[in-house]
Amino acid sequence: MTATAAGTPPKRSASGWAVVGEREIRDLWLGGRGLLLSLAFSMLLSVIAYLVAANQALNFLEQRESVNLTLQVAVASGSLLTLLAAADSVSGERERATFESLLLTPVARLGITSGKLLGALSLWLGAFVITIPYVWYLGRGIGLVGDAIVTGLVIGTLLAIFLASLGMIISVFANSNRVSLSLSLFILLALFAPTQFPINAQRGWGEILLRVNPITAGEHYVGRILVNGDGWGDNLSWLVAPIVAAVVFVSAAAFVGARFVRLGRGGT
Amino acid sequence: MIGLGRALTAALAAALAAMMVVAGTAGAQAREVSITTNPSRVTTGLGERFSFQTTIAFDGATASGSLIAHLNILSLRDGTYVDPEDWSSERTVYLGTLPAGGLRTITWNIHAVNTGSLAAYVTVLPQNDVDAPPTTGTAVRFEVSERDTLNAGGILPIVLGVPAALALLGAAAHLARRRRGIANSPGPPLKSTQ
Repeated sequence: MTATAAGTPPKRSASGWAVVGEREIRDLWLGGRGLLLSLAFSMLLSVIAYLVAANQALNFLEQRESVNLTLQVAVASGSLLTLLAAADSVSGERERATFESLLLTPVARLGITSGKLLGALSLWLGAFVITIPYVWYLGRGIGLVGDAIVTGLVIGTLLAIFLASLGMIISVFANSNRVSLSLSLFILLALFAPTQFPINAQRGWGEILLRVNPITAGEHYVGRILVNGDGWGDNLSWLVAPIVAAVVFVSAAAFVGARFVRLGRGGT
Repeated sequence: MIGLGRALTAALAAALAAMMVVAGTAGAQAREVSITTNPSRVTTGLGERFSFQTTIAFDGATASGSLIAHLNILSLRDGTYVDPEDWSSERTVYLGTLPAGGLRTITWNIHAVNTGSLAAYVTVLPQNDVDAPPTTGTAVRFEVSERDTLNAGGILPIVLGVPAALALLGAAAHLARRRRGIANSPGPPLKSTQ
């Protein structure tokens, strides 16, 4: 983002988040980066959707699982996009030497970070819109389209808010953009790792770990609805972690954004 | 030495006799268990859920030992892979003991995940007697009809069309950016405080 000098210093506006958010979204999408990431995202979904649809031996349960697989890949990849965009938001601007001009604008620090968070979240919304035709095709024969779209939107949005806020916090404190991006990716991989637990490890302490981890809890909830045909209210306890993570981390990002965003590296 | 040999022979004979008694008891217990299923035939469609019931009766003079009922499902046509776990997530029921002349009815919830002709049967075996033969009830036959499923040809417009549309959109945005010269100036600058 850019800024020009003005004669009198205007009062810093906390509602400047909308202006910053609009500029971030404009830069992201009209600048081409958002469309490029969306193109890569759609190609990934295309490969997965083609592979599951090309399986002639697909039985009914596997068809439900194919919808679940496609949706979970979409949620995971969409969240990854928001995390990367957020992890780049402050540390990246510092390295590109564009952060100083942004800090000179009459927008409060909270407004700047909120606007950047909004820009990062727009990537998830774009990814979700792209996911709809794939889910529609895979789920239409088994009456799963509505459930898949709504669960994907709810869980994906919660996880995207959580991860974007996490990325933003890391970006504020990171000494360099490379550190910010690699640390964010490492944390994301660590959060996804429990999804590969064998069935036996998903009991007892393993289940507690799965419930506490917002990613695994969210994916479990989606799977129970799409694969097992459970009702929306049957596994609400699995929604606790994604909701709590979204609320806590977005609040933390707001706090960090208001208090620790500085021109210098590492929030100093 | 002779005394020891006699003692060993006597012990062996006693052990054999005990084994024969146990085997006889086990065989008798197995014969005293009977299993009936209802209905005996189900016609349904792919993806539908249904249930059938199994009644296990024990006709012994005294209470049975602990019993276990287990459901198995298979295809009656060669070449169809059936994973019973997909059809029913709870296929083993620990019945405990049944009183003399007692009955126990189990409802098995089934999810039809393959098409074709399939059958299910329930086996009851004693929990603590590995030598006793299991008792198998009559089979329930499932006829599961086809339903529209996925095909690779149908999804081609989507798997090619969505990335193509995004690529076109990206190219159009790039051209528009070049024409308007916004590549280097993404929009009106914000006013700074200094």
